[in-house]
Amino acid sequence: MLTLFLILFPIVAATAVLFSTDTIAKTAALIGAIGELVIVGVVFFTFVANDQYQFGFDYAWFGAATNGSSGVRLSGAIDGISLLPVVLTGLVTPLIILSTFKQTYTRPTSFYALILFMQAALMGVFVARDGFLFYFFFEAALIPIYFLAAMWGGENRIAVTFKFFVYTIFGSLLMLVALVYLYRQTPLVSGAHSAAIADFYALNLSAKAQGWVFWAFFIAFAVKMPLFPFHTWQPDTYVESPTPATMLLAGIMLKMGVYGLIRLILPIVPEGVNIWGSTAMILAVIGIVYGAIIAVRQRDMKRLIAYSSFSHVGLMAAGVFSRSEMGLQGALIQMLAHGVNVVGLFFIAELILQRTGTRQLDQLGGITRNTPRLTVYFMIILLGSVALPLTNGFVGEFLLLSGVYGYNHYIGLAAGLTIIFGAVYMLRMYQKSMFGQPAPRTATFVDLAGSDSYVLLILCVFVFWMGLYPASFLKLTEPAVLNLMQFIK
Amino acid sequence: MTFQTYDCLQMLPIILLSLSGIALLFLGFQKSRALLLPATLLFLVIAFVANFLDWGKTYMYFRDMLLVNNLAMIFTGVVLLSTFMVVSLSGSLADDEDAQPAEYYAILLFSLVGAIMMIGFENLIMLFVGVEILSVAMYILTGSDKRNLRSNEAALKYFLMGAFATGILLFGIALLYGATGSFVLSGIGNYAHSATNAGGSMLLFYVGMFMLLIGMLFKVSAAPFHFWTPDVYDGAPSLFTAYMSTVVKTAGFAALLRILSVSFSGVYDFWWVAMAVVTVLTLLIGNITAVYQASFKRMMAYSSISHAGYLLIGLVGLSQASKPAIAFYSLAYSLSTIAAFGVLMLVARNRPLNAAVFGDQTTLARTDEHYDAFNGLARKNPLLGFVMAVSMLSLAGIPLTAGFWGKFMVFSAAADRGAVWLLVVAVLMSAVGIYYYFRVVIAMYFREGQTDTIRVAPFYRIVLIAATVLTLALGLLPNLFQGLI
Amino acid sequence: MEGFFMAFYRMGWHRTAANYVRFIANLRSFLSLLSMNTASYLPSDYIPIFIQLSLALGFIVVTMLVTHNIGPKRHSVKKDDPFECGIPTQGDARAPISIKYFLVAILFVLFDVEVIFMYPWAVNFMQLGQEGFIQMVLFMGLLLAGFYYVIRKGVLKWE
Repeated sequence: MLTLFLILFPIVAATAVLFSTDTIAKTAALIGAIGELVIVGVVFFTFVANDQYQFGFDYAWFGAATNGSSGVRLSGAIDGISLLPVVLTGLVTPLIILSTFKQTYTRPTSFYALILFMQAALMGVFVARDGFLFYFFFEAALIPIYFLAAMWGGENRIAVTFKFFVYTIFGSLLMLVALVYLYRQTPLVSGAHSAAIADFYALNLSAKAQGWVFWAFFIAFAVKMPLFPFHTWQPDTYVESPTPATMLLAGIMLKMGVYGLIRLILPIVPEGVNIWGSTAMILAVIGIVYGAIIAVRQRDMKRLIAYSSFSHVGLMAAGVFSRSEMGLQGALIQMLAHGVNVVGLFFIAELILQRTGTRQLDQLGGITRNTPRLTVYFMIILLGSVALPLTNGFVGEFLLLSGVYGYNHYIGLAAGLTIIFGAVYMLRMYQKSMFGQPAPRTATFVDLAGSDSYVLLILCVFVFWMGLYPASFLKLTEPAVLNLMQFIK
Repeated sequence: MTFQTYDCLQMLPIILLSLSGIALLFLGFQKSRALLLPATLLFLVIAFVANFLDWGKTYMYFRDMLLVNNLAMIFTGVVLLSTFMVVSLSGSLADDEDAQPAEYYAILLFSLVGAIMMIGFENLIMLFVGVEILSVAMYILTGSDKRNLRSNEAALKYFLMGAFATGILLFGIALLYGATGSFVLSGIGNYAHSATNAGGSMLLFYVGMFMLLIGMLFKVSAAPFHFWTPDVYDGAPSLFTAYMSTVVKTAGFAALLRILSVSFSGVYDFWWVAMAVVTVLTLLIGNITAVYQASFKRMMAYSSISHAGYLLIGLVGLSQASKPAIAFYSLAYSLSTIAAFGVLMLVARNRPLNAAVFGDQTTLARTDEHYDAFNGLARKNPLLGFVMAVSMLSLAGIPLTAGFWGKFMVFSAAADRGAVWLLVVAVLMSAVGIYYYFRVVIAMYFREGQTDTIRVAPFYRIVLIAATVLTLALGLLPNLFQGLI
Repeated sequence: MEGFFMAFYRMGWHRTAANYVRFIANLRSFLSLLSMNTASYLPSDYIPIFIQLSLALGFIVVTMLVTHNIGPKRHSVKKDDPFECGIPTQGDARAPISIKYFLVAILFVLFDVEVIFMYPWAVNFMQLGQEGFIQMVLFMGLLLAGFYYVIRKGVLKWE
């Protein structure tokens, strides 16, 4: 039941915010998001580390028939695989709202309501146990983010977000075909149609069918993440969107793709992964190197972070396709870690933009002089994202790389470049913006205070918590991952 | 020949609608036009209730000419509901000096009789009569904007092309009769089953079948028989375009579904390739051409072609699942289309500037129906913006809306037949569809424009809200409808 | 690619293809049937038709040739002008005619055709009995309602 509340609560909160006044919208949204965080907290601390689905709900929805078809059901629950994305969504959303406390957006009621609607849809994606419910939320998440980006975005927002929208819809429509196909295949095993993901696992499809189901799913998720040839929407959209929307996109929405790989592709079409997994992995590794090289050359901070995110997500995908326990565990924890880091980085880019009016690295510099707090927080988050030991990024990337290396040494070596390149472009960004002679724009830089400071502080706590004591997360996910491995082999 | 009393009580909607149509004609003699709209709506409600009196039973009426079962009642219900909504959006007719509301309403009700006959026909004669009643009414309504050149042109085009298609339809019926010796659907179906097994010559039958199908495909504007659609939909007054693109399409597909499933299912192997080709063509032409339109109304015309394509997928994958699928799709499509036209009419009416800027409105393109007319609409008119956005989402088949489940059901029906490649085409075209549907949303929400707050009559507002709520409700709880079938 | 063909196969492509072949074969046998039927008539049976045809054609051709050739031809401005009953022409031949002509004409056709339905009823008046009478009254009632509507609408007013 708790899972149902996870979805419904943000919807109720969003509706309340929508009908509140402009002055209290911000606070109301924050209260709503914190309320959601409390529920997530209860889930996290009462979650039992086994391979069972917990806190579930299950109602008939559509297509249930007298012949015993269970049809499409409203059913969701949390297991070890969905736990971390749920935690991420619950944790990051209030931080995103808090990060906007020093800014004013036009039409705030709509703005914050959309963020909360987005949260509800994301929760839905991560807890859905029914294929079509998954698809439903997968698409539903797109609508609020599209409006957020296109209404409050920058100069080119209309064209750019439209590209993003059409890309992702196109991908997910292919997934819809695959789901319809799978749904219609289910009678072969159970005598009646069922759209439950667990029943899809049990399907015994031919290798050819698996091949094309694999691609239908893979393109949907690859567009979302994005992976190498499907990424062209990403940098522009990240840059043109308002920063809260960018944080949602990079922090949480990207994880929908990785989650989909783990939840749907690996167990439903193991044979398809067997045949095409290496192709997908090579695409992912190309993305890692390609994204990193481009990131090194970027001047705009936001664009740089966008490419770094593109590069990191490639590693997660490669880890998933290594089909090893390490790779999967790494992907799960890295989802959380990357979410925390990238939200922090985008927020810092936004703070610098607000204070100096620019994100161009060559116009920045020397910010460290009178900003002790920003300097420290920035450094911690940055180290987290370059995977320094004792930070959250290290745990995830280490597991991922060992998974990939175990799959194939050469691919593992190529993927390992991510750490080197990551250090290069991240430190370059830090050096160019924070160190050196103060530029005219940065001379009067004011240090963080109040809400801005709290956001980064909380993120830094997570960077260290996950880096120093990753077992508190890994032990929760392990049984579910082991369970999943049975379907893969 | 005995005159049985029950024989006239059933098919109550047909009789009620005919009588109320005549009553409306006489109501029109009164000075005041205020009574016409409520009276029409009342008649429609009565017909709607009467329609469902036979719920759960299956009857054959008028000496086995018409069939009434749950499916037919649902299609009739969809058609009546659509008409109810279209009529309730027609409040402005009462103020229009040139308009003849009494006649328009009467013609609408008469045409519904035709639609109901097309939905329940058991005899090809009834199909023909139904098609004609519906079509002739449409020819008149298309040209009802008498002083507008484009309306006149549309009416003439529609009439000429429609008459031609009717000829082909009739020819097909004649050939089928020649081949099978029967006008009755089940008789033709029996012939198809036995003759295929016997392996004899079925030339007459096949030619007749294809001519019949061509005639019907013309009526539902499937490619390559769609050429009349854009001009006619664009030229006709928006109110009647809304009616044409919903009621006529629903009735046409109900008729196609009936004849294909009862009469021609025995020769499925023979016609499915032809129908699949028509489907693919319809999807391609409808969607791709819609992208290039500058006028919203013309886009809606092409969108109606593309939706004919999605509905055809349900027919190509003919099975038991097709029936609820096509009924649901028709309902979802009708709701969104009518709501969209409702907003369009308000927006177009609210832009009197164009006449002054562009001079004679009758000859030039109607710029008040272009996408630009929607610029900035949602700022001052959040309700209209929302109604339009939900309609567009539903037409595009985005989850949370009825349109998604419509597509889902139609696709499932085709997936059963193993026509996955057809689904891939449909899905690609859906992605194209999103492009042009979202142009409106973008214009309304993200572009700047000078739009005043548009005054919406209370009843008009209620209908728009009801359509939107129904669309969302069916999107969230599709079982509401599915439980009926 | 093979999967593509498999899909066709599963949907009965091969059967369909066979059907099309049969369709073509049928077409040919149908055509040969036609020629067989004509063979049962002797060509001489058509002679009366040919005579009739050549007479009809011949009459037209001969008259046209004769009138063109034996009549004297004198051209003048007045003579080459189109005329009507000896009165000089006025305006375009496509002048609009009052809609009332069409209305009366179409109403005439309508009521004229409807009245035809009374003949079979009148012939079988006794057999159809009371029930037939009721149906006829209903029919005439609807017709008269239409007639009343037409009059009230002022269609027949000639002003």
